[in-house]
Amino acid sequence: MEVINKIPNIHTEAGIVGPSTDNELPEQQGEIIIEEITRNHKLLHRHRLNQAEVSIGRDYHNDIILSDPHICPQHLSLSFSNGQWQLNDKNSVNGTRLEKNNAVSQDANQQAINDGDVILIGKSQLRVIFKTHLVEDTIAFSPFESLIDFIRHPVAVFISIALFMLIAGNISYLNQPTELNLSQLLVSAFSMSLLFSLWPAGVALVSHLTKHDPRILAQLGISFTFFILLWLSDFLEEIISFNFASNSILTVTVSLLPIGLAFSLFWLNSYIGFHVSAKRRMIVAICITTLLFGGSYLNQYSKRPDFNPHPQYNSTIMAPSYLIAPSNNVDEFLKQSNALFEQANNAAKQD
Amino acid sequence: MKAFFTLVFILFSSTTFATEQAEEIFAQLTPSLYQIKLIDKASGEKSSIGSGFQISADGIIATNYHVISSYARHPEKYRIEYLDHQGNMAEVDLVSVDVINDLALVKRQVNNEMPYFKLSDKKPIKGEKLFALGNPHDLGMIVVPGTYNGLKKESFNERIHFTGSINSGMSGGPVVNKLEKVVGINVATSGNQIGFLVPHDKLVTLFNDYNKKAPTDIKQQMSAQLMANQDKLMSALINSNWQSKELASKALFPLIDVPFIRCWGDSNADKKDALILAAIASCSLDENTYLSSHFFTGSVEIEFRYMQAKNLSDNKFYHLYQRQIARASAGNRGGKDDISEFQCHDDLIKPASTANTSKEINNKSIFCTRAYKDFPGLFDVLYLGASIDRNQQALVSHFTIAGVSQENAMAFTAKFMEAVSWK
Repeated sequence: MEVINKIPNIHTEAGIVGPSTDNELPEQQGEIIIEEITRNHKLLHRHRLNQAEVSIGRDYHNDIILSDPHICPQHLSLSFSNGQWQLNDKNSVNGTRLEKNNAVSQDANQQAINDGDVILIGKSQLRVIFKTHLVEDTIAFSPFESLIDFIRHPVAVFISIALFMLIAGNISYLNQPTELNLSQLLVSAFSMSLLFSLWPAGVALVSHLTKHDPRILAQLGISFTFFILLWLSDFLEEIISFNFASNSILTVTVSLLPIGLAFSLFWLNSYIGFHVSAKRRMIVAICITTLLFGGSYLNQYSKRPDFNPHPQYNSTIMAPSYLIAPSNNVDEFLKQSNALFEQANNAAKQD
Repeated sequence: MKAFFTLVFILFSSTTFATEQAEEIFAQLTPSLYQIKLIDKASGEKSSIGSGFQISADGIIATNYHVISSYARHPEKYRIEYLDHQGNMAEVDLVSVDVINDLALVKRQVNNEMPYFKLSDKKPIKGEKLFALGNPHDLGMIVVPGTYNGLKKESFNERIHFTGSINSGMSGGPVVNKLEKVVGINVATSGNQIGFLVPHDKLVTLFNDYNKKAPTDIKQQMSAQLMANQDKLMSALINSNWQSKELASKALFPLIDVPFIRCWGDSNADKKDALILAAIASCSLDENTYLSSHFFTGSVEIEFRYMQAKNLSDNKFYHLYQRQIARASAGNRGGKDDISEFQCHDDLIKPASTANTSKEINNKSIFCTRAYKDFPGLFDVLYLGASIDRNQQALVSHFTIAGVSQENAMAFTAKFMEAVSWK
């Protein structure tokens, strides 16, 4: 019974705690925070006002002055009475609309305003927040933060790019069937690293355009570190396919490594560049990874001929120093080769 | 010189110098000579032509298998017709084939007893004058005089070497001696007056077998012939003497000592700027079996390649070496309707024969096989061994065999793998 009798005029919606009238401001003086936000609900300005009447419009008499040409000089006012804020449109040309808790916006005049409501006037948006508005929990620094701090150090960035160039140079050296001089290698390594730096630069650009901190050094550092890791995983894959027979489980496992690495890279790119929820970051990283690997798989699949007269076999060989597996004998090889005839017979029957 | 065989398909116009004798032979034999046409049922037009000749009173006509191969493989799509010297046309039935010797027997309807070619009962002698008959390029029946030059050297399945022009469309036509008896059948040319004939005794065997018991199913007959032929070939290869030969005095490879396998060598020792010194020995069987225009079988290819790095790091040497072995492919042609795709397997293999000796070799060994769709039990196989135990030297051993049974393929592979080693 007690509860019902107590302050019946105070809004007690979820997330809003009604002020207890005893130790609060006098009845006719409200406290309100008005945020100018973009259409994507990004914060532009924040006004904290301590008065019972707040006027909003384009001319200089207003408490909040907005330069939007679609707003009238004296557009609207918010007034506080009986512990409640009220919106009053001053016969504006384009009107005022109120968006309540992501519900459909409606024409507003003489409407009560709640915490979190968004006022749409002209092409601008204002979010009303009461001081009792609950903020989200503090996010603790993730362990990545120290890693990123380490990687974005100019020396670390320089080292990772230099290492990348070294690997790129080595690869073009190995692939060239003729003699090659140093300057040619340098040019190819340099152009390779320029090409690969397009990705972190692109991510930084996008985060800059979306009003986030670009953090270009961190993006460069993390991307090149992962490019190097991806190459290392290629190398590992090569060693495994050299040492172990084609049907080994190890081959399958190691072929998943680049996918995992690419996912981690995209996740970190998004972690550095954008403040989004963990779930959204996960979805974005998964989408880009799927697009990349799924796309390249589809591309290969579409190019695959209907019938391939040439044998597809694992021809990976490496210098003897990479040889770690023991060799089998001829009998064992023949036994396994014998199984292929059955497979070939089945393949012949299939189509 | 490696003889290059083309089945007689290419235009080669020549003026025929017919002697009086040739004219006489032609006049007498022409009623028993036919043009054999394969008619595509859907379009009603001819899809291939060849020659044929009657060898019995009751209408058996001999021709080449490759003339009627499309019908043998896809009887629902084609029909076979003959065209005689008077311009009469009628359909004939395929009654028997010898796919190994490229022969076929078709049968026409006869109402009365007809004149026919007599098959010779003895071989011609070297230098004997022979007359090839046929209808080159649909130009009409002609007679080409030429000389018998014995059997082709080093052939697995015998062919007569005939010095005289044999052209496309003459395939399946008879070659007769002065007594007008058939001693061979036109089959192939190697250009410039070098022609090849199937010896008449192959036709005699086929005809006798047919008279004894006509085959019920042409595909089964072909399958049995291919199986028997590969057995004969593979046992000759496996049971012959395998000499161990040196390659670039660093490696040992087996040289199969049978006359029909011929070997060639090559190296890049003259190229000063090459990064890798390479010496190659390759051996092959110079003949194959025609099944259809896109499907050949019966080929054998063997190759050994020794490579040595010149001022290269081990990694780069192996990188370039890998490219050399990445694109091995089958020695014969075949399509989707004929064969399955290759199934492959690889492993690291140390042959026991040289293990723990100075000759010991450690290979990355790859084995692939594909199955024939119409001829169960026959496979194409491919083996590739790449040494991986020396930093600056490599030995590649490779073979492909087309149309072989699993048992023979495995026996050959086992012997082959054990026979390759370092020196």
